Amino acid sequence: MEDIFVLGIGMTPFGKHPDSSAADLGAQAVNLALADAGLGGKEIEAAWVGHVFQGMAMGQRALYAAGLSGIPIDNVENACSSGSTAIWDATLALRAGAYDVVLALGVEHMTTAFRGALAPDPSDIEAQLGLTMPGIYAMRAQRYMVQYGVAPQDIAKIAVKNKRNAAMNPLSHFKKAVTLDEVMQGRLIADPLRLHECAPISDGAAAVVLVSKAKLKELGGTRAIKLAASALRSGRTEVGLVDMTVEDLTWRTAQAAYEQAGVGPGEIGFAEVHDCFSIAEALRVEGMGLVPHGEYVARVAKGEMDLDGILPVNGSGGLLGKGHPLGATGVAQVVEIVKQLRGEAGERQIANAKIGVAHCRGGKAQGVEGTACTVNILVA
Amino acid sequence: MVKLDEAKDSPRTGDYIIEDNKVRLHASRCPSCGAVFYPRRNNCSADATSPLEEIALSSGGTVYTFTVARQSTPEFKTPYVLAYVDFKEDVRVLLPFDADEPPVIGAAVEIVMAAGPRITDGGLVSIPHARLQR
Repeated sequence: MEDIFVLGIGMTPFGKHPDSSAADLGAQAVNLALADAGLGGKEIEAAWVGHVFQGMAMGQRALYAAGLSGIPIDNVENACSSGSTAIWDATLALRAGAYDVVLALGVEHMTTAFRGALAPDPSDIEAQLGLTMPGIYAMRAQRYMVQYGVAPQDIAKIAVKNKRNAAMNPLSHFKKAVTLDEVMQGRLIADPLRLHECAPISDGAAAVVLVSKAKLKELGGTRAIKLAASALRSGRTEVGLVDMTVEDLTWRTAQAAYEQAGVGPGEIGFAEVHDCFSIAEALRVEGMGLVPHGEYVARVAKGEMDLDGILPVNGSGGLLGKGHPLGATGVAQVVEIVKQLRGEAGERQIANAKIGVAHCRGGKAQGVEGTACTVNILVA
Repeated sequence: MVKLDEAKDSPRTGDYIIEDNKVRLHASRCPSCGAVFYPRRNNCSADATSPLEEIALSSGGTVYTFTVARQSTPEFKTPYVLAYVDFKEDVRVLLPFDADEPPVIGAAVEIVMAAGPRITDGGLVSIPHARLQR
């Protein structure tokens, strides 16, 4: 398979942007990515744009605001994995040889589109019974605690780590570290999860310019990072009494990515994973086979997932600290990994960063384990 | 297991039946792979078999997990307790819990009618809930 490279990255600050529209934020990310790639807008041949709550043709509005029009633009919705699904779509087009320079953008203006707890689609019976996203993860956390003998404060340490990292990221929604006491004194959202353990409602956008190997040769860029794998899977029908602490969807997606990249879980140096809630990070890192089931929170307590640990996780601050503008999240994870692999992560730079993985997993739909999951592997 | 057509004298409302004051949820079972679905379906989501058998679940089960939802979407009266209940028919169902205090994992529950947690035009509507077995 022909190699694909990330040539340019761009990302707005995540947070509350009352004075910018989603299109403004999208345009800002696109223009930053183009400038970073050293390309003009006219060189982009096609674009995929991930968003969830932005309504019709967000992609066209954002690209028009950025000064791009007329090219093929595909709007992509795949719950919280919308942005990373846009990347996956773009890789398929490059691999098919249809284009040599494409754009993937993720954008979301959550503060105008959403209020309260995020919930599954209202047509699902579970949503009608009161199931929310915090509720789903809280119930998985309750199981995790019983099955593996851990306490709420053990899980809460994930939030402490991620917010500490976020404080070092100038683009983060939250720029203040929190102590374990502060997390444990936070208001309960869904027992045992407390406020700091739930991703915030954020606005923001992130974009990447992807190029074929042939195009990279022609341009001669030296900061390009190889996108060694991009995998997408969806959740299987849940039949019977399955273990809700084990993510089959995450495992199948990660396996596909490992195979594509030709790397095993043991070679992964650092990860950005979908920590929409504190417990989610544990389920995902274990789900990808990076840590045995039930051991994650003990590893976090030992500092193994810190920036200077053996497997730094969510060095960007993750969704908990950096923020979670749904459509933008999956692209922002890839942006962070590229920064780390280029050695441009500043204060939060991971020493000897060589292979990074981005895991993004979206949503809940009635009857299936999860909606969409992507795993992208990048190699310096 | 009682098939619904054998219990046709029971009052039936939507996705459950009430027999001797016991609520039994109305589910579907795939005759091919045995997968059980609640709510009912016309085909099997695992292997696309159609039609499915209609079955009534037991009137109780055990708590697989639970939470207390303290923040929700505007149409719900918080706080409320939710639980995933495992039935011996090999299916897990989300149910509101009829108690202010959360249960423990593994607790035996029965299915009863109770009000809430969703607020509709006329207030809280009575729907199947799980309750600690008495």
